Amino acid sequence: MFKKILIANRGEIAIRVIHACKEMGIETVAVYSKVDEKAPHVNLADESVNLGDPTPSESYLNIGKIIEAAEKKGAEAIHPGYGFLAENPDFAQACRDSGLKFIGPDARVIALMGDKIKAKKTMEKAGVPIIPGYHGLKQDTKILVKEGKKIGFPLLVKAVAGGGGKGMKIVHSEENLEESIESAKREAKSSFGNDMVFLERYLDKPRHIEFQILADEHGNIIHLFERECSIQRRHQKIIEETPSPVMTKDLRKEMGEAAVKAAEAVGYTNAGTIEFMVDGNLNYYFMEMNTRLQVEHPITEMTTGVDIVKRQIKIAAGKELDLTQKDVHQRGHALECRIYAEDPAHGFLPSVGVLEKVEMPLGPNIRNDAGIETGLEITPYYDPMLAKLIVGGENREESINKMIWALSRYVILGVTTNIPFLKRVLKHEAFRRGNITTHFIDTYFKDWGEQQKGLPLDAIIGLAIYNALHPKREEVVRYKEPDPHSPWKHTGRWRIGV
Amino acid sequence: MFINYEYENHVYNVEVERKEDKYLVTYDNTTYTVEAEEVKPGQLKIKLGDRYIKCVVAEGKNGKFVFIDGDVFKVKPVPLTGRKRMEKKEGNLSSPISGKVVRVNVKKGDAVKKGDVLMVIEAMKMEYLIKAPYDGMVKKVNFKEKDQIELGEITVEIEKKEE
Repeated sequence: MFKKILIANRGEIAIRVIHACKEMGIETVAVYSKVDEKAPHVNLADESVNLGDPTPSESYLNIGKIIEAAEKKGAEAIHPGYGFLAENPDFAQACRDSGLKFIGPDARVIALMGDKIKAKKTMEKAGVPIIPGYHGLKQDTKILVKEGKKIGFPLLVKAVAGGGGKGMKIVHSEENLEESIESAKREAKSSFGNDMVFLERYLDKPRHIEFQILADEHGNIIHLFERECSIQRRHQKIIEETPSPVMTKDLRKEMGEAAVKAAEAVGYTNAGTIEFMVDGNLNYYFMEMNTRLQVEHPITEMTTGVDIVKRQIKIAAGKELDLTQKDVHQRGHALECRIYAEDPAHGFLPSVGVLEKVEMPLGPNIRNDAGIETGLEITPYYDPMLAKLIVGGENREESINKMIWALSRYVILGVTTNIPFLKRVLKHEAFRRGNITTHFIDTYFKDWGEQQKGLPLDAIIGLAIYNALHPKREEVVRYKEPDPHSPWKHTGRWRIGV
Repeated sequence: MFINYEYENHVYNVEVERKEDKYLVTYDNTTYTVEAEEVKPGQLKIKLGDRYIKCVVAEGKNGKFVFIDGDVFKVKPVPLTGRKRMEKKEGNLSSPISGKVVRVNVKKGDAVKKGDVLMVIEAMKMEYLIKAPYDGMVKKVNFKEKDQIELGEITVEIEKKEE
């Protein structure tokens, strides 16, 4: 087993990996950029290395600096987490060239699956179904517009090197096609350094269902069942669950076997995920393979009892899987909500600022995977995901109710979060029925905004008590009416400027 | 003492007074007698009649945050003199986010149509399009490509075309 591992990431996932290492008795090295100096992942690790400039390309995306840090600290392996360098084949190769073990699949497999066009062709050859679209190498905007018109609308423009909703646009009509293609290309260029895009038909009542794969370096491959990730905003998942409410025993068996076959087709090793789109008639199509740990891996851990991160480390250390497909079972139901610093009432715009207060809900079968604490500043440099809240129940209804309860006790003050929005989604009748598609948010929550109801009495009393306990001279009026013409002489609620 | 809170463009005028071990909170001509305790910094346990209010209050740079049963309310201190007017301008050309300007599509003197993309801002790897809110002429472009832009800063100034 490894003695020391460097974690090439930040936030909740760095913490998740550090915890796994500590439990296994492995020393940890954290890396951080200047703005993350006080971030919790740095405190938790045994050692840490400052990468400097907060720009991702100068810190968490800088292969040279990270390899150098690992060598300097004597780490034997690197865990990339997700995002940043997790699916960068050059990084996996650079690790190998430096004699460091990359905790993930081979650089060749990452490159193959990272090229969404080649990935689909490979899967088609292996007998896994795929969706119609344009995956050509001709990337001239005019040609793409022509091909897009041929496929028809709605249409998806997606970065070849993409993932996580970046470099991805949905186009509803011809007039927006050109602008969307150009915008997707620019996002792709700045996020992945590659502006190639492909076009694909958007499916009817599509669900996003993925299968977790574990593959060791001795040819053993198993799946850990599905995750339903249809609740997305801007093509990024916000609520995930397992089992999927639409899954049947037969379909699970068939898709699971297809996922294992897909992993086998590319000689996959370590943890990975096969993403499928499933339409209204339960036809399934291979979308892409994520050659890394997924954000939503905890729900699989909660229902199978398998610790995926520890498995990743063991596999990378050359250990043989001591689990067969027959050994893994799903128990109960699990849900995950991603807590983002963003404002759902204003187009999900990211919100930055200092976290003045953070308190997480605790209780049976409630898991907090978080990268935040009171006093931390949320900067615009990185992804606005703050934390993940995972709950488990005996069945779907129980975990939905538990999640609503837990979200109601989740305190994050200082930035706007999507917590109230998540609660509204979970309470929605269509969600409770399990009647969900990837269009769910656009269908039921378009132009969503909290209705202005005014301050509740409890908040007014709370504020008054707080002020009484912590008086501030500039906020307090000593006399009720110093000026007889003061606009403040009205008591109660009134509207400014009316 | 009297305190004014602003929330959603409304002003709430509240009076709070300590009386022995109790607090008297007066709002909207009603006085509530409560017992209160700060359990942890910012975390209040307030007893109102036979009901407990659990709330968390924190102070930010420009206001206070109150957490009540899963909802968060941000209130601002109210300036104590003068009437604050909320200006309602047609069309908003301020930046919705702090980020980097990646593209500027217009220059001074350009005629623009409603919906035209004027500027593209990137933050957290996502693009935000600044579109013209009405037909008009570009009076001033405040940023160039690669500039850093802060939340609320005016991107482009447009003279609205007379109807």
